[in-house]
Amino acid sequence: MEFKEVIGRRRSIRFFDPDRPVEHEKIQKMLEAARLASCAVNAQWARAIVAFRKDLTDDQFNRLKTPVAALNVDLAPVHIHWFNDLSIVNKIKGSRLKELVDVGALAPTHGWSHKFVDDFVYPQILEPMTKGPGYPIASTFDVGGAMTQALLTGVDEGLGVCLVTLNGAVLREVFNVPEEWIPLSTILVGYPAESWDGGGQRPRPPFEELYYEGAYGKPFRRDPAVTEELKAAKMIQEPAKPHDPKRIAEIKKLAEQYGLPM
Amino acid sequence: MTESEAQPEVILKPMLEYASVQTWMDGLRQHWGGDPETDDPERFPIFEAFCLHVGRDPDQIVKETTMLKDGQRRIRIQGRNRYAALIQDWQDAVEGSRFRKAKWGNTVRSFLIHNGVLLQSGVQT
Repeated sequence: MEFKEVIGRRRSIRFFDPDRPVEHEKIQKMLEAARLASCAVNAQWARAIVAFRKDLTDDQFNRLKTPVAALNVDLAPVHIHWFNDLSIVNKIKGSRLKELVDVGALAPTHGWSHKFVDDFVYPQILEPMTKGPGYPIASTFDVGGAMTQALLTGVDEGLGVCLVTLNGAVLREVFNVPEEWIPLSTILVGYPAESWDGGGQRPRPPFEELYYEGAYGKPFRRDPAVTEELKAAKMIQEPAKPHDPKRIAEIKKLAEQYGLPM
Repeated sequence: MTESEAQPEVILKPMLEYASVQTWMDGLRQHWGGDPETDDPERFPIFEAFCLHVGRDPDQIVKETTMLKDGQRRIRIQGRNRYAALIQDWQDAVEGSRFRKAKWGNTVRSFLIHNGVLLQSGVQT
């Protein structure tokens, strides 16, 4: 699938086929994509635990099935639970930055050297940063980038994906994660039981309300020719319509199929 | 409230006289269309049976699963957990097929959901 179509085709799939297993190799591809995501100071905070539902013990399964997550856990054959390893910066102490210097990603042309990392970046910026209140938020931002690459790779592999937030305390216990890992979100993965278009592309605020050019208040100029080009590339797709009878009928059918409340 | 506690008797008014049932009907109508007061003749009898089972009227059930805090309506986590378990136990005790059991449980879940109490039950079939 072309890159733009992957972006356009992604939906938060909420009805998975619970009986159709997901290939192990497709999950690996999602994780490989996450590992290659852009990351500040090359720290790599993202951690993930992949749970194949069929391999969960009854105890694990029942503990994950809280009243707010029971259906998600039940329907999706694979759950990828993401965490932020806050300890990593003080473990690597700038060594991955020096790797970037060595491979020419960070060069003296931009002021970088091993000595700068050793004398200034780690002791004066990174190490103090890990003690600040904003550290978990800033680093989680980068985990989000990794998760997004995993999500899109899943779509490219023909899978349905959905980002949800489960109970972090339960995840910690069920998967025995290290204390310094912060539980974040979970990517549910499976083959969709609902139609791919899911009733259409989800509503978004107008482009002009989100993006500015030069300064706040001057909307970024949106060229209709570009939007037409993106429609042709299937990145911008037919928007979902409120109270669409076709979509309502589809959800009713799925609710009956899986015995869900309406 | 737990299963082992004796449930108080409750005398129910006609279902449509409860504000929470009106909210339920409005939600069903808005989301699915049609006339939810008549489209499923089993809906009210099933829900009444649950109310009698737990000894609560519909508005009391909503009060036990939600609360007002700082002027905002919130979900009572423990109340929701308690009702999720009560519904599941009650559903399991219903005689008949899995489909029938699911319908009974899901009728009550639908009432809570349309009253703003997010509740998932898992696959029932």
